[in-house]
Amino acid sequence: MTSKKGFCPETEMLVEFSAGVLGPAESICVSAHLHFCSKCREALLQLDQLGAKLLGEGEGEPSGKTSFEEVLSKIEFADEDVKMQSEPSDEKQVVFAPVVDRLMKHNLKSLKWKKLSSSVEMAQLETGQNVFEVSLHKICAGGKAPVHDHQGLEYTVVLKGSFSDERSVYREGDFILREPGQPHQPIGAQNGECICLSAQSAPIKLTGPFGFLMNKWLQIHPS
Amino acid sequence: MSANGSGAPKARSSKRTDKLSLLLTAVGNQDKAAFEELFKHFSPLIRSFSQANQHEGSYPGLHEDLVQEVMIKIWQKAGKFDPEKASATTWIYTVARNCRIDMLRRKSNTQHLPLENEDYWQETDENTPSSLLQQKRSEDKLHAAMDRLPHEQKEILRKVYIEGKSHSETSQELGVPLGTVKSRVRLALHKMQIFVPFDQQDGLIYD
Repeated sequence: MTSKKGFCPETEMLVEFSAGVLGPAESICVSAHLHFCSKCREALLQLDQLGAKLLGEGEGEPSGKTSFEEVLSKIEFADEDVKMQSEPSDEKQVVFAPVVDRLMKHNLKSLKWKKLSSSVEMAQLETGQNVFEVSLHKICAGGKAPVHDHQGLEYTVVLKGSFSDERSVYREGDFILREPGQPHQPIGAQNGECICLSAQSAPIKLTGPFGFLMNKWLQIHPS
Repeated sequence: MSANGSGAPKARSSKRTDKLSLLLTAVGNQDKAAFEELFKHFSPLIRSFSQANQHEGSYPGLHEDLVQEVMIKIWQKAGKFDPEKASATTWIYTVARNCRIDMLRRKSNTQHLPLENEDYWQETDENTPSSLLQQKRSEDKLHAAMDRLPHEQKEILRKVYIEGKSHSETSQELGVPLGTVKSRVRLALHKMQIFVPFDQQDGLIYD
């Protein structure tokens, strides 16, 4: 089944992202999706307005020890720091999505790509957390990944090109959630390689013939 | 679009002229008196915003540290505030939210964090006058609708946004099933006319 609407994160994820309670790996995936999806950006803007309204109408806790003078004196110190670091020029061209570009430090070639199968390569991204393994996956044009399943959650965001599986075709920006018990076999589109961002919370389990031989190569290593 | 006639005047400009937005604009021009007024208004709100007590990384002095950090950021960044694009409260909410996440993450994490929360957010490009005007109108509408939300829906939104709890933490704390928490949030969003694309995908995602 194909859809022109595209695949987006579920409501709860956007709400938690806007409230700032979503984990870092999930937030990276949502952020990458937002780069492609103006509808979600629009919803997010409203969700932030909602958060602001809740903040503004809170009762507040007036008793605190921070005085205005204290803040002012800290600002004078901080101002020096700000002058020291010149504004980063954000004019760089976006390669995939700003959040992904930052993680790979704007250099696709410096990543360490590792072959997972004849048509799939993977490069890990350092994200400073160890709940999810966050990585880029590359499927060559027309390449077939092995049939596999996950023991935990897997979030995927298509960054470039497209791929398909038994259920749908996924295009740039699509956000896909897999849960354990949904074995699948991604196939890269014929017209070019496909690059995806992925966050996995547990090892992959290959379910095809000889899968058991390869499982040991696919342990996740969060960093 | 005019169903909820709230009696609000139909402004032709998206520029906010409320007191707080004017103050924040003045702070952008290094006005210390305006900054003090903002401090008086927002520091109690920011303090109650850091009630994320159960959170990993939380510690007793977090409230005060957050007040200081947020106020410093407001001073440093106010020059970038654009009252055409956002209200002061929304702008300050995003600063406070990002500061809170970063402080909790820094405390709970021994590893180097390559990203600040700000890096997850990008400037929106929907900045044509008509889309800005529409954003402002939807904000006004949202405010009116929020005042009419049932207590049980608002309570959950407060837990998530102000106390910084996930849906599942909220469900545990209130002793309400997770599915109920989620559906109350969805109902509330629907009433406020916040349409999340996922809701319109009808069964396209695995269930």
